[in-house]
Amino acid sequence: MSIALEATGLTKTYGAVRALDDFSIAIPAGGVFGVLGPNGAGKSTLFRIALGLVRPTSGTARLFGAPAGDVAALRRVGAMIETPRYPPYLTARDTLRMLALESGFQNPDIAAWLERVSLTHAADRATSGFSVGMKQRLGLAAAFLTRPELVILDEPTSGMDPAGIQEIRALIVDLARHEGVTVILASHQLDEVKRVCDRVAILSHGRVVAEGGVAELTAGEARLRLTLASPLAPVLAVLADRGQADGPDAVLADIPRAEAPAVIRALVEAGAEIVEARWREVDLEGVYLKSLGQTPTAAAPEGAA
Amino acid sequence: MLADAIAAERFRLLRDRSALFWGFGFAPLVGFILAMGGDLFVRTIIKRPMPGATVDLAAQVIKALGNGASTMAALFLMIGAASILAGDYRWETWRLRTPRNSRFNLLAAKLIVIGEAIMWSLVLTVALTLAAAVIGAGINGKAIVASTLGLSEIAGVFVVTWLEAMSLAALAACVAVVARSPMAAVVVCLVVRFVQSILAATLGMTPEPTWKALAIPAYDADLLRAFVSAPSHAGMDGGPAGWALLVLLGWIAALTAGAIVLFQQQDLTRE
Repeated sequence: MSIALEATGLTKTYGAVRALDDFSIAIPAGGVFGVLGPNGAGKSTLFRIALGLVRPTSGTARLFGAPAGDVAALRRVGAMIETPRYPPYLTARDTLRMLALESGFQNPDIAAWLERVSLTHAADRATSGFSVGMKQRLGLAAAFLTRPELVILDEPTSGMDPAGIQEIRALIVDLARHEGVTVILASHQLDEVKRVCDRVAILSHGRVVAEGGVAELTAGEARLRLTLASPLAPVLAVLADRGQADGPDAVLADIPRAEAPAVIRALVEAGAEIVEARWREVDLEGVYLKSLGQTPTAAAPEGAA
Repeated sequence: MLADAIAAERFRLLRDRSALFWGFGFAPLVGFILAMGGDLFVRTIIKRPMPGATVDLAAQVIKALGNGASTMAALFLMIGAASILAGDYRWETWRLRTPRNSRFNLLAAKLIVIGEAIMWSLVLTVALTLAAAVIGAGINGKAIVASTLGLSEIAGVFVVTWLEAMSLAALAACVAVVARSPMAAVVVCLVVRFVQSILAATLGMTPEPTWKALAIPAYDADLLRAFVSAPSHAGMDGGPAGWALLVLLGWIAALTAGAIVLFQQQDLTRE
């Protein structure tokens, strides 16, 4: 499997602030990779280093095996970093034309991209009059314009209306699934990441605190909820530090799925009367908050064991 | 690759009407309007015939070109240059452009496009000076006479003035990168140009050029203009002019290299 973006021991400090701290990651080519993290986690710094906008204090970043900032590698990449800004005197069409010229990309299909991001009606308007959502759309067109193999998107749907968000998500998925574009997507919207991404890395304080497939991350965090018709004490004694009470008649067991039959058998032998056993799935938000050392507050959805 | 960056920068400048007009069109246009206003004033207000008055087109063009990088003209040229050099800081658009080409190419393209724009501004100066002179001669009945100065002298002054303006543009590039601000680039260049003109006038009073004087780009440009506009350079020692040319080129090269090195090292954390 080829690696689209690789960081090894990457550290970036801004004065006393450590934006990335011995950060390492290898993002494979293909699919949509989500990068999650609170503000200041280091997402934008990672992207800026990869794109040659910022130099690392130490460590290396590589795009398609080439050092970060390598122009040949960068020409295989499209990007939208933070809220896009444009020269205010340029129209949307001229902005894309200028960027295509800058990349040395011949015959860009500007009209088609403007249509794809629903900006045909504003193609010849100066970008100074654009709303945040329109700027985001133009940024997406700019990122995909030169038909890159890798697209880095930092908060691509921020500032968009719900319909626009859905449209852009569909576009990202379409490009990744059907046109083979690798997408690295940073977002605060966990729902967006869950819907769009195949794999996720969670960043905190400049480090990766969790990484894996979305299903894999959430599955690993599932807990078995046992509803009992008997006292909880014997059950909690068997489970020891892997169990905790969840209300007056239920227990949550932190056990791997493979161990469930043996654990249930042991509990029954200890006298437990189990009325119901269900797997309580932890969603991405739960994984995210747990990775950041916070406690999920919303009720998690459940699934039958 | 550099060609791509130049094409993009040129495309962008051609759509930035404000920078084009105020930076590269305004000064020649004002020169034309003032010249026409003077001729019309003589004709309509003073109403005094000018018997025997003549117009030397080449001399007028050389005079206008000589002022092409004066403090006042430099102010406007630097407004245009700064909007090209620092526009990506001001609009925070480096993040769009830097991933598409090398930093060397991006900044070099800006300076090349500024060089083109200054060249066209000087061409406009020549054209409007000629137009004003011809129209003025017609208005006031002045005779156009053959000049002792030819195309080579005009071309020489043109190139020297262009080089002088480019030395300021290279300085503007350094300031724009360090300060990340168009205003800083304009103000610093204007102050430097003003100080240069005072120093050049002061140090230029000695009969022989000194190294101190030769270190000043404005002095070098004046020396070079005097040399190239002298008919056949009769009776002039070419040595100081040669040194002046080398120093002027040295300033441009050093400032351009400085700007590019600074830009290549720079973290674009916000832009």
